[in-house]
Amino acid sequence: MKKEPIIPESKDSAFREQVLKTPVGEKILTCMQCGICSGSCPVSQEMDYSPRQLVRMVQLGLKKEVLSSNTIWICTTCFSCSVRCPRGIHPTELMETLKPIAIAEGITNRNVKFDTVFSDVIKTNGRASEFLLISKYSMTEPGMIKQLPFGLSMMAKRKLPLSVDRMENTKELGTIFKLGEKSREKK
Amino acid sequence: MMENEPTLVTEQKEESAKKGSNRIGVYLCRCGGNIADVVDLQAVGDNLKEDKNITVNIQDYLCSSVGQDKIKNDIEKGKVDRVVIGSCSPKLHLETFRSMAKNAGLNPGLLEITNIREQASWVHDKEDKTGVTSKAKGLIKGAAARMDSIEPLSPLAKSLVDRTLVIGGGIAGITTALELSDSHDVILIEKKPYLGGHMIGLSKTFPTLDCSQCILTPRMVAVHNNPRISMLTQTEVADVQGSPGDYSITLEHSPRYVDIRKCINCGACTKKCPTGAIFLPFVQAVPQAYMIDMSKCSNCGACVKVCPRDAINLEEKKETSLISVGAVAIATGFEPIDLSFIEEYNYPSPNILTAIEFEEMLSAKSKTGMRLQKADGTFPNRVAFVLCAGSRDFTGKGRKHCSKVCCIYSQKQAQLVKKMKEESEAWIFYIDMRSSGRRFEEFYHHTQEKGVNYVRGKVAEILPGPDGTLMVQYEDTNLGRKGREIFDMVVLCPALIPSTGTKEIADKLGVPMGDDGFIEEKHVKLDPVNTLNQSVFAAGCVLGPKDIHDSVTEGISAAHKVSQFLGKGVILIPPEKPVILECNGCGDCVKACPYNALTLEGGKALLSPLACTGCGICVPACPIKGIEIRNFTREQLKAQLKGILSEAPGVIVFIDPYAYAAADIAGVNRKQYSSLIRLVSVPSVHILDADVVNAAFEYGATGVLLIEGITDEKLTTRSDDLYKKLKKETRKHKKPIRYSHIETAQYEKLTDLLNVFASQAGAKAQKMSRKEKEEISDKEELAS
Repeated sequence: MKKEPIIPESKDSAFREQVLKTPVGEKILTCMQCGICSGSCPVSQEMDYSPRQLVRMVQLGLKKEVLSSNTIWICTTCFSCSVRCPRGIHPTELMETLKPIAIAEGITNRNVKFDTVFSDVIKTNGRASEFLLISKYSMTEPGMIKQLPFGLSMMAKRKLPLSVDRMENTKELGTIFKLGEKSREKK
Repeated sequence: MMENEPTLVTEQKEESAKKGSNRIGVYLCRCGGNIADVVDLQAVGDNLKEDKNITVNIQDYLCSSVGQDKIKNDIEKGKVDRVVIGSCSPKLHLETFRSMAKNAGLNPGLLEITNIREQASWVHDKEDKTGVTSKAKGLIKGAAARMDSIEPLSPLAKSLVDRTLVIGGGIAGITTALELSDSHDVILIEKKPYLGGHMIGLSKTFPTLDCSQCILTPRMVAVHNNPRISMLTQTEVADVQGSPGDYSITLEHSPRYVDIRKCINCGACTKKCPTGAIFLPFVQAVPQAYMIDMSKCSNCGACVKVCPRDAINLEEKKETSLISVGAVAIATGFEPIDLSFIEEYNYPSPNILTAIEFEEMLSAKSKTGMRLQKADGTFPNRVAFVLCAGSRDFTGKGRKHCSKVCCIYSQKQAQLVKKMKEESEAWIFYIDMRSSGRRFEEFYHHTQEKGVNYVRGKVAEILPGPDGTLMVQYEDTNLGRKGREIFDMVVLCPALIPSTGTKEIADKLGVPMGDDGFIEEKHVKLDPVNTLNQSVFAAGCVLGPKDIHDSVTEGISAAHKVSQFLGKGVILIPPEKPVILECNGCGDCVKACPYNALTLEGGKALLSPLACTGCGICVPACPIKGIEIRNFTREQLKAQLKGILSEAPGVIVFIDPYAYAAADIAGVNRKQYSSLIRLVSVPSVHILDADVVNAAFEYGATGVLLIEGITDEKLTTRSDDLYKKLKKETRKHKKPIRYSHIETAQYEKLTDLLNVFASQAGAKAQKMSRKEKEEISDKEELAS
């Protein structure tokens, strides 16, 4: 990872203000960088930036790095960080706040793609289907072809059912999602 | 104990008030821009122009010598004979200005301060200049009206009891007692069976590494041998009666079952005891005497028989005694927070201990022969120190404040580990290494040289590791990488909080505490060991976490302040006492007085001014309105209210001095509330009756709040009745009235209440005026 110097041009004060104004943004400025969030995080080693670093970057308004980091997508929402933070900052909720901003900014990377495929599967079926998820995601990510033998061996062991589980009334579900979209547009 | 009966030293001189002919000087302070940026002082001054008796002067800084000289000159030249100052809180500068007035030959009581900073310019919307200016206009006008009507009184002087109670036998209390004993009698009480507090449980002390007991034991012995200090262990304060300068305090003594005056420490008893119930707390303990743990005692009487001095009494009971003191020094210290609330740290578990437990293992009180050891008795080769456990926490689970000493003592403990075994490892997990203070940075440097490992990162979890070890998980924040490390022992540095019972003692003595539970200083910087009660002082960790050096410094300071206080021989008490103008001998006031200050003699009520606290509960109690509090009479209060409400309607808040202090703290913290709020300072809300409250409504108050901060149950238990009575008797106005109890520390509760009540009163007023308009238009329609 190339480390760019932090210069005035790398800071986006509008982005900073946008995040600080959200409900979770209220306490962001009081972070003392103790690192209990990252120390508690079960997946921080997989992240480009640890939760602690992400909070610092939001404080500085490093919009590009924050929104294109994989941190916000890797978070499993286990809430350990939010429970333990001595300043009452909720990093989990921060991740959830940053995701729609990243999508709205048109950020595309593997994580955004996966998230889109996953939510599409849920929107159409009301349930997660591993088969649909993997096949659809493979379409967007050519590199997934390397995983084919592994997928086949799982199928052979009946660990990857081909049947698609659907909920009973997907129409109603569609309406719920549409209403949700509408109310967000209004905002 | 000899009773030193206090007497009234001087009787007040009375001069007659000459209402209307006084020359009132109103002095307004810009306070740089602190006031003038929000309040239009020129407009406030112009508002008083109509009154020929009033002169107005505006200064940049009234507290400066220029400002004070202006007032002084005006008084000396006879231009003014009464002074109203519009400035910061009277808690800050009333004494300053009054001593200036006294020097200029004016009765200090004829100078008063109206608070337009902490309770106006600092607490309202800065954009709402019209609202805040209108409020200031009213407050100053009210103050001038009140000033025109008050009588010049002289404070009463009462002789002091020249004896001091020091509560707490730790290093701060020991120092206070020893320093005082040169010229005053001292009673030193300690809850535990021995002196020394936390310090006797320390090993080496930073940054010099001298042994704690070596420097403390001589002081403890000095206390024990000092003829002017009565040392009472296993003793607590049960009850406080009386008033500043003259307290009758009931002490409660828990049984030790061994007479410390008889015990010669021979140890014969402990050899005979079959259950190990009789023991010496530790070798250096003062007093040097055995004691019995009754939970272990089988009551066999073997010790009683063997004792050569007949010192043991198994029948001993809890006892009380009554003492008379003029001053009190609180030195009740700290205790560690109970860390079991931090689930991820798994405290208590084997080999996870607090730093205080670690210290004790290596101190005079050691139960391991001063050996550092794990639960299995072996030496811990890898020790982790976890800083900020339960402190710097703003979630409400832990404490907000930094415990101040952990950074240094953990480094000292790490050094001790390395000293005991060079190849052992000591790790310090910190958030910020705070080593400010003389010789502390050098100590930090030295600890680094010794090879102690520093990790910047708050420990996330402490989990059981293999073979009874402990696994510590953290982020090394300097590298941005998560880490895990195995240790034999984990030492948690807990938040230090005021010791249990601090609140009870503070309440009994009428001393406010901060929202962190520590005793509030009179002034955080300038009066660090005084409290808001002039005869109560404090020293050591009851004022906040601190090291031995600072505790000793405060002990010396407190002793000096006590000595200064007692040295005056008399205490001045406010002259605002009840005056009995008319009496039909019904005795209702005598029954109402919670302090037995009123008696019936010859069919008339008689006041004993020394017993009287000036609470004024007798005022509304009198069925013929024959009692008034001097300078807070009904007419004076009404004149003030009329002035305050002459500008615009507002919410009248009657507030007692304890809650007034909360409003000041809100101001210092810039907590915002509605500019419709107008505080009226009263000695106690109990002086109020429907007469005054109805007048407030008539003059245009949209609502009335009674806020009481005093913790004296003699008054607070009667507040509900007062509120109900006032509510009933002011019902005709259909305007809101409310009572609330808000202690000094609860300034956030206060501002929340002020905001809620102001909007409620506003809404109600709007509704009422709409109704009135409708009624008027209805009538007009009918007429046409």
